[in-house]
Amino acid sequence: MFSQYFGHYLLNKGLVTPEQLTDALEYQRSMHLKLGVIAINAGYMTPAQVEQIHNMQKRVDKRFGELAIEHGYITEGMLNDMLTTQKQGHLMLGQALIDRNYFTMEQLQSALDDYKRENGISKRQFNVVRKDDAKEIEQIFQSYGETLLAATYSDYVTLLIKNIIRFVDDNPTVEINQLKTDITAEWYACQEIQGKISMHTGIASDTRQFVILAAKFAQEEITEPDELAQASVGEFLNLHNGIFLVNMSNNGVELEMQPQMVSGNYTFSNPGKAYVVSCHMTWGKFDIILA
Amino acid sequence: MGNNRPTILVCDDSLLVRKKMKDCLSELGDFNIVEAANGQSSVELFKQNDPDLVFLDIVMPDKNGIEALQEMMEVKKDVKVIMLSSSGTKTHLKAAMEAGASDFIQKPWEKSQIEHIVKNIF
Repeated sequence: MFSQYFGHYLLNKGLVTPEQLTDALEYQRSMHLKLGVIAINAGYMTPAQVEQIHNMQKRVDKRFGELAIEHGYITEGMLNDMLTTQKQGHLMLGQALIDRNYFTMEQLQSALDDYKRENGISKRQFNVVRKDDAKEIEQIFQSYGETLLAATYSDYVTLLIKNIIRFVDDNPTVEINQLKTDITAEWYACQEIQGKISMHTGIASDTRQFVILAAKFAQEEITEPDELAQASVGEFLNLHNGIFLVNMSNNGVELEMQPQMVSGNYTFSNPGKAYVVSCHMTWGKFDIILA
Repeated sequence: MGNNRPTILVCDDSLLVRKKMKDCLSELGDFNIVEAANGQSSVELFKQNDPDLVFLDIVMPDKNGIEALQEMMEVKKDVKVIMLSSSGTKTHLKAAMEAGASDFIQKPWEKSQIEHIVKNIF
């Protein structure tokens, strides 16, 4: 998921072409992340130091970490951190771009630095999650002080990602933020869930993304936000919520939902504790509101 | 309107679902298809059209599908009503079966499921 978000960034900045990005994403599926890329990202080593170790490896039969420690570039502790990162699979896209000769080490470092600075990657609100990591999503909600519903919201978002892949045929990158203000959207589809747990759920988007989402879900030629488009986005939310209710029911929690509604130029009044789950797609972004 | 054609009542508040169902049924046979967009009109159109088969959503405005089903059963006890909902919770399944539904299909439905039902009934 991280790699896709970083990929969108590189694409938007014109640092890679769509063809290069597609090739790198394809290539990264079959590769392992090299420690040199991790070391640069972590700020443990410079690109020149990494190149030096790589050149040494051509002459000496030693591992990257071993040589880097011998030369005093990293410690055992740093190496352990790097090995953990390697298992998490982050930065795979950067590695792929280097392997495919689209980026040098220096270019990758520069792009990563800009990316982190522009997105405040170290800040809490930048929470890009992996689609299969419910625990990570739950922790994000907890980090916002959500105690009662963190696990439920996590289940909801995890299922949402699966349903986007299943019904909209795209692989979303998801970013979770606490909603600080009211939100006004060109289009808003919403549905209330009630029972032991009460949730407001909504899809907010601008017209272009609304129409694309509608067309993809309906698998119909939809070119404007007409009645069919509204029905499509509303039904996507209804379908997702229905499946969520079935899952909850299987876990012993019976919930009901109200009919979905779709409105144009709608302002969602923040009740004080609400979240926006931004779904970044290859064709744009829409927001899921949870409150 | 051909009087010999079986009548199928499709009840769902989503225009998209009704369109998809109409497209599907049209491929499966020559039916008189009647559409209802909420629970109240589902019951009214049921009474007016005496359908041979009903596809009935549960979460609808003005009257939910379970209530609509109960009223339909009071009018015609042996009618075939297939519940078609995204919300196949234990509560809904139990309520639908107790109210007399013939079957329950969890959305999203496949054409083969509709075909199986239509072939069994007609």
